[in-house]
Amino acid sequence: MPARLPYTYKYLRAKKKFPHVWCPGCGIGIVMGSIIRSIDSLGWELDDILMVSGIGCTSRMPVYVDFNTLHTTHGRALAFGTGAKMVNPRLKVLAVMGDGDSMAIGGNHIIHAARRNMDITAIIVNNNNYGMTGGQFSPTTPQGAKTATTPYGMIEPDFDVCKLTEAAGANFVARGDVYHVIELDGIIKKALSGSGFRVVEALSPCPTNFGRANKQGDAVNMMELLRDETINIAQASKLPKEKTQGKTVRGIFVDRDGMGYTERYQKLCDRVSPGVKK
Amino acid sequence: MSERPVKGQAVEEHCKTEDEKAPAVHIFPEWCKGCGICVAFCPKQVLEMGKDQKAHVVHPEKCIECALCARRCPEFAVYVSGDGIKESKNKDGGEK
Repeated sequence: MPARLPYTYKYLRAKKKFPHVWCPGCGIGIVMGSIIRSIDSLGWELDDILMVSGIGCTSRMPVYVDFNTLHTTHGRALAFGTGAKMVNPRLKVLAVMGDGDSMAIGGNHIIHAARRNMDITAIIVNNNNYGMTGGQFSPTTPQGAKTATTPYGMIEPDFDVCKLTEAAGANFVARGDVYHVIELDGIIKKALSGSGFRVVEALSPCPTNFGRANKQGDAVNMMELLRDETINIAQASKLPKEKTQGKTVRGIFVDRDGMGYTERYQKLCDRVSPGVKK
Repeated sequence: MSERPVKGQAVEEHCKTEDEKAPAVHIFPEWCKGCGICVAFCPKQVLEMGKDQKAHVVHPEKCIECALCARRCPEFAVYVSGDGIKESKNKDGGEK
């Protein structure tokens, strides 16, 4: 019996796949650790969880965790997750997506999953660019930021993941970042234990592409930027407006108790064909 | 074709050979990529970057087992002893 193995070890495909492909200092590993700790504290069985992903850096995550996993086409994590949830409502479906995956090519899927209040937890790791293909701009690249395809600065305004999904009708919307990792643990745990469509946006550094293009330094400097340029929603409400100017607000924005899609579907089944067991 | 080295196995072996008096904080050198996050954000400067571009435990006696290094390690290469990671009292997750 190995005496000193970390308890996260049993959730990892440690013998086959580690060390992982993410660059040194990439925050996706921290988000993955946060998901694992949240699931561990909830005490869920590994077989009850389905982790779906699309294509991208973040979407490599199902390769490394030992749940039921599904690695699908670009942007379609939520579409596949919806299908899996309808076929087997017992599953706890967890969709992990990057910002390009969820906001650009899968933009419609996230809007409609939120509108339906599909019982899925969507974890969106936002690193402001397409890291895997060489740092092109994505819909969440901040205005003015430089990337491989916007060498003179991004001229388009960026998407706010939280506001978009809130307006589309998601049950739970929150934003965390990988520097404030204990806060992120709490947010992900709360998101996982709810029902309906739940969105967590996790801000994460990309030192290899975004950090280098914008001269933000190495992983440590980018983590410090996350520390200095984000502010908790409780703190932000107490401070005057000029002190929170330009800072990203993190925390839980929406926590509704709307009926999830699977529950509504079950009620329809009971009404239309009573007595038939599913 | 030569067989690919199984690196997770190395971590398990690493843990087996560890003695009881070993420090609370522990680093698996096989998985560490040397990003320096654990070193920079340790509140007690327990860790230091080695010449091999990997983190090393240099002041184990200073460790307060806050496990911020283990939580912030993107490579799952830091482990702090105990059954689970202890709950930190600092809700904000940082030293600031």
